[in-house]
Amino acid sequence: MSKAPLDKATFEAIEAYVLDRMSATERGAFEQRLVLEPDLRAELELGREHIRAVELGGLTRTLRTIAEQENASGSQGGSGWGRYIAYAASIALLVSVAIWWATRPPLNERLYAAHFTPDPGLPVAMSATDDHVFADAMVYYKEGRYGEAAQRWAPLLQQDPSNDTLLYYTAMVELVNGDAGSAMARLASVSDGSSTFKSRARWYLFLIHVKRNEIEQARALQLGTDTMYGERALRILSQLGE
Amino acid sequence: MLRSLYAEHFPTVRAMVLQNSGSANDAQDIFQEAISVLWLSVKEGRIIPEVDPGGYLYRVAKNKWLDTVRSAAHKHMKVVHDERTLERPSDVPDDIEERIVRLRGVYEKLDEKCRTVLDRFYFERKDLSTIAEELGVEEESMRTIKYRCMMKLRAFRNVIRGEEHEV
Repeated sequence: MSKAPLDKATFEAIEAYVLDRMSATERGAFEQRLVLEPDLRAELELGREHIRAVELGGLTRTLRTIAEQENASGSQGGSGWGRYIAYAASIALLVSVAIWWATRPPLNERLYAAHFTPDPGLPVAMSATDDHVFADAMVYYKEGRYGEAAQRWAPLLQQDPSNDTLLYYTAMVELVNGDAGSAMARLASVSDGSSTFKSRARWYLFLIHVKRNEIEQARALQLGTDTMYGERALRILSQLGE
Repeated sequence: MLRSLYAEHFPTVRAMVLQNSGSANDAQDIFQEAISVLWLSVKEGRIIPEVDPGGYLYRVAKNKWLDTVRSAAHKHMKVVHDERTLERPSDVPDDIEERIVRLRGVYEKLDEKCRTVLDRFYFERKDLSTIAEELGVEEESMRTIKYRCMMKLRAFRNVIRGEEHEV
């Protein structure tokens, strides 16, 4: 880690990343920087620790306050109505927690929902490419107009069925639309080769297996050693009891 | 959430501590430690969030209290024997308490003003404009104060990494 001062913009980018306050596009760009900049990775680790220390400090202070209030209310006894209202409120809280508990989706689906964000897309510079159909579609994709993007990519993919970029981004659109089955086949084909999308394709395959509760298949991808996604993958497997 | 955890599970822990020669204040300290262990373990994905919080808190609290009781200062205390409590709970990460101590050490380096600002932003998750209004400063100044406070923590990086000497 560099001993030089950390500029405010980098600090705020790290903070936004840790607090999950980045858009999908910003997050993707930041993660690409992390792959290339070891100093930034070290700063991220340190920033995460600092925030954790502050959160723990806040938790400790809050617990002390609660304990003091409980002591005070215990010594005062409290009025009959006060006790009744507190009792009713705690029953209401328990009931609402119980309803939420009973109706929430299974853990694997919640983990998928928590970790899935579509790839932010590729930079598209005007006149930087001859393939204007692909570039136009990428603009649609980045604007979240996934259907229109896929519609424009479909004929290109028909002409060049092994094009990894088209396969990968078409799979992204399918995932966004909830068609994990089709996405899986395309991502598997990208992840088998030497594509620049290989690591990302394996991450999305991992998430699909998590969503389908296919934990053995998710584990078999051995994503734990992946520089970019290893930590998150291991955390998910740990949460799933693997 | 914290308040409901406290209301629901503290009485059981207090009863256990009182039964084992402890005081009400001891029970509160032990319970707060147990909540900190639970919070950090869940936050860092070390345990499944679905774990029964009451059972987990009780196991951690009981284990910690028995450690305290066994220590030299408390050898005169009478302990109600319970074989189930003699082993460390398997779902409590080995290094979690050491980590809590280290993180608290970092937090203690902050002055009161920084704690106030950072608590509200990172723990209470209030936005900067709200904190600025509460503390009577401009939002941009608040942004700078927050940045400077976090840079003070950065200066203690060797402490947070558990190294022997501060920079």
